[in-house]
Amino acid sequence: MGPLIPQGIITGGWDFVIALLLGIAFGFILEASGFSSSRNITGAFYGYNFVVLRVFLTAVLVAMIGLLYFDYFGWIDMDLLYILPTYLTPMIIGAIIMGFGFLIGGFCPGTSYTGIAIGKLDAMVFTGGLFIGIFVFSEAFPLFSDFYYSDNMGNVTITEVLGLSAEVFTMIMVVVGLAAFWVTWLIEKRVRKNINPYKFE
Amino acid sequence: MNKNYIYLTVLMLVLAAGLFVLPERDNSKQTNPEDLMWSIVQPTRFISTDVVAKMIIERDPTLELIDVRSEDEYSEFSLEKAINIPLDSLTSENYQNYLGIKGLKAIFYSNDDIKADQAWVIAKRLGFDNIYVMKGGLNCWMKTIIEPTQPNETASSEEFELYSFRKGASIYFTGANMENDSEGTKAVINVQRKKKTSVVEGGC
Repeated sequence: MGPLIPQGIITGGWDFVIALLLGIAFGFILEASGFSSSRNITGAFYGYNFVVLRVFLTAVLVAMIGLLYFDYFGWIDMDLLYILPTYLTPMIIGAIIMGFGFLIGGFCPGTSYTGIAIGKLDAMVFTGGLFIGIFVFSEAFPLFSDFYYSDNMGNVTITEVLGLSAEVFTMIMVVVGLAAFWVTWLIEKRVRKNINPYKFE
Repeated sequence: MNKNYIYLTVLMLVLAAGLFVLPERDNSKQTNPEDLMWSIVQPTRFISTDVVAKMIIERDPTLELIDVRSEDEYSEFSLEKAINIPLDSLTSENYQNYLGIKGLKAIFYSNDDIKADQAWVIAKRLGFDNIYVMKGGLNCWMKTIIEPTQPNETASSEEFELYSFRKGASIYFTGANMENDSEGTKAVINVQRKKKTSVVEGGC
């Protein structure tokens, strides 16, 4: 059945509608998780708040398991999913730069917009810097375009590179992820005095 | 510590473990036997040599002729603008890009129509649509298009019309067009490969 657009079930014109709906949902989740506060975000680096790690790992695990079940039920054709090409070294460098930006600015691009949405000044300054950065990067792109496209591994997935089956890799991620949840919870409990756990209604 | 966290942890583990016990499932888009049987008896999957000849002469852009004979046979003689996909390579992925192109009619042919028919069944099973077989193959092509036989004097006017078309086609394919092109040069088809989905590069 899915993915809907490549299979021709709905036309490509729905791209923007879907993007809008997903964007609203994504922003809502970011804000609801407390990501519009840079204290929550940088807390992961200082070791007192791991909500970023937990929220994103939850998203990863749910998406991983969900996709595999969808594939099993024939609801999605995994061959049609777009796989971002891997440029190994440039991506590692990019991740380090991103991490520093995260740590210094207190936002990542997405969360800075949720910050703006609730009127945070630091988020507005961050987003201004973001656009300056994009402009400088775009103008200077020819200087490092060779490096940008180097070390191309093609559209590979981690299971192909490591030769693991998707089930095994998912299991490893689930175990690692769940362990991370519990460990970070314990760390937070030790470090923070005023912690109050989320109440399930 | 809230008990619900424990439940959620167990739920995730169970779901992940569940992936191991799921039986293998084939989700490929193969046609099921009933559909295959239904489409196999449709006469519309055959296209006559006359129609093919007409499409070639009119330079019909929707025509994709596929020669399923061996490479040697293909290089010896093939129809204008035909591409060669030997029957035994049909299942390899390199060649499958040539099938299922939107808006193109893929027409298989071989010396008779047995090999072409086999290719059709394989391609159908692989889930491709818009595939056809040239009825009678190249043998029929020679008999009808290259050396058409004159109908009897008492034959209907349609038969005479068909004969005069074939006669014209014969001139087109055997010589009248010789000085322009085609002789010895195999057409290269620019295949428009199916594009993968549009890139959505996400950040956070």
